[in-house]
Amino acid sequence: MRSERYIPYVLVLPSVVFLLFLFAWPLLEALLLSVRNSSGWTLEHFQRMAADLYFKDALKYTLLLTLTIVPLQVGLALGMALLLGSIAKGRDLFLYVWTIPLGISDLAAGIVWLAIFTERGYLNSFLQAVGVIQQPQLWLSYETPWMIFLAVVAAEVWRATAIVFVILVAGLQLIPKEYGEAAEVFGATPWQRFWKVTLPLLRPSLQVALILRTILALEVFAVVVALGGRNLPVLAGEAYYWYNAYQNPGVAAAYAVLILGISVAATLLYLRLMRTKQEAVG
Amino acid sequence: MAGIRVENIEKSFGKFKALSGVSLEVRDQEFVVLLGPSGCGKTTLLRIIAGLEQADRGRVWIGEREVSGLPPRSRRVAMVFQNYAVFPHLTVFENIAFGLRMQKAPAEKIKAKVEQAATLMHIENLLGRYPAQLSGGQRQRVAVARALAVEPEVLLMDEPLSNLDALLRLEMRAELKRLLAESRTTTLYVTHDQVEAMSLADRIAVMNAGQIVQYDQPMKVYQEPANTFVGGFIGSPPMNFLRLPVEGQQARLASLVLALPSEVSGAEVLLGVRPEDFEVYTDQRPQSFPAEVLVVEPLGPHLLLTLRFGEQLLKATVPPDFAVRPGQTIWLKPQPGRLRWLEPTSGQALTAR
Ligand SMILES: Nc1ncnc2c1ncn2[C@@H]1O[C@H](COP(=O)(O)OP(=O)(O)OP(=O)(O)O)[C@@H](O)[C@H]1O
Ligand SMILES: [Mg+2]
Repeated sequence: MRSERYIPYVLVLPSVVFLLFLFAWPLLEALLLSVRNSSGWTLEHFQRMAADLYFKDALKYTLLLTLTIVPLQVGLALGMALLLGSIAKGRDLFLYVWTIPLGISDLAAGIVWLAIFTERGYLNSFLQAVGVIQQPQLWLSYETPWMIFLAVVAAEVWRATAIVFVILVAGLQLIPKEYGEAAEVFGATPWQRFWKVTLPLLRPSLQVALILRTILALEVFAVVVALGGRNLPVLAGEAYYWYNAYQNPGVAAAYAVLILGISVAATLLYLRLMRTKQEAVG
Repeated sequence: MAGIRVENIEKSFGKFKALSGVSLEVRDQEFVVLLGPSGCGKTTLLRIIAGLEQADRGRVWIGEREVSGLPPRSRRVAMVFQNYAVFPHLTVFENIAFGLRMQKAPAEKIKAKVEQAATLMHIENLLGRYPAQLSGGQRQRVAVARALAVEPEVLLMDEPLSNLDALLRLEMRAELKRLLAESRTTTLYVTHDQVEAMSLADRIAVMNAGQIVQYDQPMKVYQEPANTFVGGFIGSPPMNFLRLPVEGQQARLASLVLALPSEVSGAEVLLGVRPEDFEVYTDQRPQSFPAEVLVVEPLGPHLLLTLRFGEQLLKATVPPDFAVRPGQTIWLKPQPGRLRWLEPTSGQALTAR
């Protein structure tokens, strides 16, 4: 009997080793990279990052993108998931169609939307055809960062809402229908049922979806590069330029650590705000 | 004023017919128990009345209103679910308060009603807990308290005491009966415990295979079962059914000749007698027939005898001090007023009721 106590540890060992090598070690390396130079410990990389011309915009746009994209996605996905619940026939078809964007890489998604917004893209052709504009408009230029911003939001919502959707659909399916029925019998309107029963019971799934999407939104990069290059600076993009173009791994690592810090803070905030009480599973 | 009336309810799940033409009327303030074996459609009927399930055919009235097309919240009923459906994210207090909160009742009223209902179900010390911290029986009582707290005119209860220990069940049963009579609540109560049904009901509706086979006062259902199913399902041990030969207007039971209430077409007839409706003697008496004792079971208040009469087995109960042993022949005198005659092929009672 005693030896059985070790079995779980033996079984998780391979994944622990894997995580140590591929996550913990590079993470530690990046951390060290950001606070060391050839002569020892330093905050020089962080100072250079903060003093950089692009830093403030990158931070601003990353946070703004996250604050725009995540609520939009969660709201949309929640609506879609609830709609799906009341569809009886062809449910699977809707599910598959809505999850297609999941299979598209973010760079490809960025290029798809570039094809729409570029000077000779679909949007301009369409607007010209219906006669709204005479000349092709330049949508995604450095003079109109807000247009780039909107294009990125559109592309990200189109591309990554499905993952939230899938999580919420799974979460909704886990809620036994008897709770909704009990609420209905005791006089709850559909609206009250949503707020008082469905949403609280969906909280664990919402938490997962929010954390996942927020972290991914803070790392947004490929879509931005495809649509706006550096005209819409973001944190992950800056890390890339400092590493590649400026050949400065220290400052790149400082950016990476900053993203990590914001992600951790956001996660802790979610966990705290949406703390599940003692209920466990009923 | 709110009775319940359902008319010709039919409901199929795929090919399976769960309810085939159920009609039932529960009068205002009446306590009706739906009694039947597992899977006979009791829950389905309750869910149709509550509006949680749509009937394929038939109509439902609550009070003066036809509610067939209305959503559950407009039907103004309260329900105790068979699987409790106690909200896991709410405390016991909030669970019981749920219906009142939906009605936007004032806070003092909510507090008073919740405490009242909780005290009645003996869960007043659990109000701050979450359902995951309760036992099954406690959760069930929360479900009952939640339904009582809204003081509905119509109350639907689906086996509300099934998960309680025998003693608690007895106590809760009596308290429910008192409370619901006091508050004049129209109640439809599902159970497959026949003792519970007998003790609570103004009338019992016995269901079998998606149909109501008898709907009458408890003692009528007990003493005058409409068919062999009811006689066998209600009463423990069940009613005896003896197959007897018919001679004209009479049936023959050994040397006994018993008058039949009506003409019988076949050569045989079934005699239904409850085990306690025999007078038992160790010597021959007039108007009695002999049977051999196979088993003697002392059950406390009485002895249960398993007997053989010809090729047929029957059960009889006798006082606990009755001296009898297996192998002995005893004489049984059926009490004349307690006989039930049934048609052997259909199992339906002969008596014109
Ligand atoms: N959603 C459903 N889909 C398919 N069949 C169902 C469904 N609900 C009930 N049934 C079937 O209908 C019949 C009646 O079910 P119901 O739940 O009404 O039985 P019941 O009388 O309440 O039984 P119990 O005493 O075990 O609770 C059963 O045979 C059951 O298998
Ligand atoms: Mg049931």
